[in-house]
Amino acid sequence: MIEIAGLSKIFGVGASAFTALENINVTIRENEFFTLLGPSGCGKTTLLRSIAGFVNPSSGSLTVNGEDMLSKPPYARPVNTVFQNYALFPHMTVAENIGFGLEMLGRPKSEIKSVVADMLDLVQMAPMADRMTSQISGGQQQRVALARALAPKPKVLLLDEPLSALDFKLRKEMQIELKRLQSETGITFVFVTHDQEEALTMSDRIAVMKSGRILQIGGPKDIYDHPAERFVADFIGDTNFVSADLVTEANGIAQVRLPSGKTVEARSPAGGAQSGSVTIAVRPEHAVLSEPGALIDGRLKNIVYFGTDTHYHIESDGQPTFVVRRQNQPDAVEHHQVGDTVGISFNSGTAQVLRD
Amino acid sequence: MTTDAQTERNRWLLLTPALTILTLAAAGPLLIVVVYSFLTAGDYGGVVWTFSTDAWFSVIAERDFFDETLSFSDAHLSIFWRSVKLSLMTTVVAFLVGFPTAYFIATRPPHKRDFWMLLIMVPFWTNLLIRTFAVMEIIRNEGVVNTVLMKLGLIDSPIQMMFTEFAVTLGMFYVFLPLMVLPIYASMERMDFSLVEAAYDLYASRWKVLRRVILPLVKPGAVAGSILVFVPSLGAYVTPRIMGGGKQLMLGNLIELQFGQGRNWPLGAALSITLLAIVMVALIIYVRSAENGETHHG
Repeated sequence: MIEIAGLSKIFGVGASAFTALENINVTIRENEFFTLLGPSGCGKTTLLRSIAGFVNPSSGSLTVNGEDMLSKPPYARPVNTVFQNYALFPHMTVAENIGFGLEMLGRPKSEIKSVVADMLDLVQMAPMADRMTSQISGGQQQRVALARALAPKPKVLLLDEPLSALDFKLRKEMQIELKRLQSETGITFVFVTHDQEEALTMSDRIAVMKSGRILQIGGPKDIYDHPAERFVADFIGDTNFVSADLVTEANGIAQVRLPSGKTVEARSPAGGAQSGSVTIAVRPEHAVLSEPGALIDGRLKNIVYFGTDTHYHIESDGQPTFVVRRQNQPDAVEHHQVGDTVGISFNSGTAQVLRD
Repeated sequence: MTTDAQTERNRWLLLTPALTILTLAAAGPLLIVVVYSFLTAGDYGGVVWTFSTDAWFSVIAERDFFDETLSFSDAHLSIFWRSVKLSLMTTVVAFLVGFPTAYFIATRPPHKRDFWMLLIMVPFWTNLLIRTFAVMEIIRNEGVVNTVLMKLGLIDSPIQMMFTEFAVTLGMFYVFLPLMVLPIYASMERMDFSLVEAAYDLYASRWKVLRRVILPLVKPGAVAGSILVFVPSLGAYVTPRIMGGGKQLMLGNLIELQFGQGRNWPLGAALSITLLAIVMVALIIYVRSAENGETHHG
C-alpha cells in the first residue's frame, strides 16, 4: 500500500519556480493496477519519479506499507521502474539485465539463475537469454525491461508510459500481457499514461491529473460515467456539454433545468454545492434521437457513418454541437435526414453535473 | 551511367590527395629513418653511406671502451624504463583526475557544459612552453607551493620538487589532461543517463553504478583518452627537458641528443624506431584489452 499525503514539488526558485505537483493525496492499494492519467506536463511522471526516488518532493509524505520512503535513496526502496525508453544496459545480455537487481541485492548465484529463468519464461523470452539487448526488437526489449523490474519482486512496480514506443498492434498485446503479469505476480502496478483508452482498459483505478493536481480518482467506469470536472469529461472519451440551471441538489442527485425549460435528473459531483448556472455532461451513446419536443430540440446538421455506429450532429440555439451516437444494426433503416428538426433525450441519471 | 570501373577509378582519384600527403609526410620520412638506422655515423653528424648494424646494437648494448666486452646499455635501458614508467603514471593520474572532471561536465545542464569545456580547452590554446613554465613556477624552490608552506611555518627549507620524476610527471599530466577529458566527456555525453537511474532503481549503490554501468559504457572514451595521453608522453621532449632539467632524460631527449651533441644520427634513428615500436606494442595491448572487455559479455 502506498500512502501519499500533501505531496508537493516545486522546481526552481523565485520567479522561475514551477509547481510540478501540488498537494497530492492518494492511497494506492495492495495488488492494485493504478493509473496516473493526464496530458503531458500534468505532473504524472514527476509523481512516479517521486515514488521511485529520482525526484525529491518539496513537502509532504510518502510511505510504502507504512515505511517512509522520502528519506531513502532509490536503491533502498522496494520499488522498481519500467522506463519509457526501457533503459536496458547495452553492455549486458538479456539474462544479465534481468539478473542485475538480484545481483546488486547480493543474492546467491543459484537463486539469481533460477529467478532469471522464471522471469524469462514469464515474459516468453527464454530463447533470447544470451542475446545482447541491441539484438532484439522493441517489443522484446519491453518484455526484458518488465522482467528486469519484476525479478527482484518489488512491492511496487512503476511503469512510465512503457507502451508509447510500440506500434498499435503490439501495444494492444502488451496491454493484455501487463494485466496478466499484474494478476500473476500480485504486485502493485503504478502506471503512467496519457492514453485514456489504455487507462480505461487496464486499470483498477485511475487518477486523472492536470497542472500538478489530481482532479479525480475512481474506477474506469466511475471516471467515464461520472466525470467530476469538465477537464476529466473532455479528456476521457467524447462528451456533450450542455449549459443548464441548477434547481435542487441533494444526496448526489441534482435536478437541472435545460434551456428548453424541461427539467432532468443528473448526478452531482462529490462535494456538490453548485451555484445557479452549471454545465452538464452527456455521453453521445447515452443520448437518443426522438421526436421534437424532447429535452433538447435542434436541427440535424450531419450524419456520420462509422461502420459500428452512426453519429448525429445536432445544432441548437446557444449550445455547442450535440453528438448522439447510435449503434448500427444490420437491418436498420435511416429515418432521419440532414436538416430535420429532431429531439434529443437521455435517461435520468445519465447526465453528470460538472464542477468547473 | 557510370560503370563499376569508372566508380572504382573515381574512388582512387578522390583518394589521391590524401594518399600523396600520407606518402610524403609519413611513409617517406619513416623510410628515411629506417634507412639511416642502418648506416654509419658521420664524424660531424649526418651519415656515411656504409651499411652497419652498430646503431641497432648500441640501442640496448654497449661495448666497453677499453676491453671491448659487451654489456647491456644501462643508460639506455634506464631511460626506456623511465619513459614507460612516467608515461604510465601520467596516464593513470590523468585518468583519475580526468574521469571525474568529464563526469562533472557531462552532468551539468546542457547550456552550462560549453563553459566548463572552455575552461578545459583554454590552457590547450596556450603555448606548450608557457604552460610548462607555469607549472615550474608553482613547484620550484622559490615557487608558490614552497613559499606558502614556509610562510605557514610547515617547512623550514624548500622541498626540492623540480628536476625530479615527480616534476616531469606533473608537467606532462598538466599538459596532456585535456586529451584525457575530451574523449571521456564525448562518450559520457552520448551515454543515456536513464541507465544510471535504472541501475540505482535496481539496488545498485553509487560505487556499483560507477563500476558496473558508467565505467563499462565510457570505456571506449577512456581507452582513447589513455592512448592520447600515453603516446605523446612517451615521446615527450619539451616537458622532461624543462621539468627534469637534464637529470630525468626521457626517450625524446635521448633521441634529440643523438641528432645534436651526440652526432650519432643512426643511433637517433634506431631509437626513434624503438620508440615507435614501444608505442605500437602499447596500442596493441590497449586495443586487445578493449576488445576483450567487449566480447567478454557477448
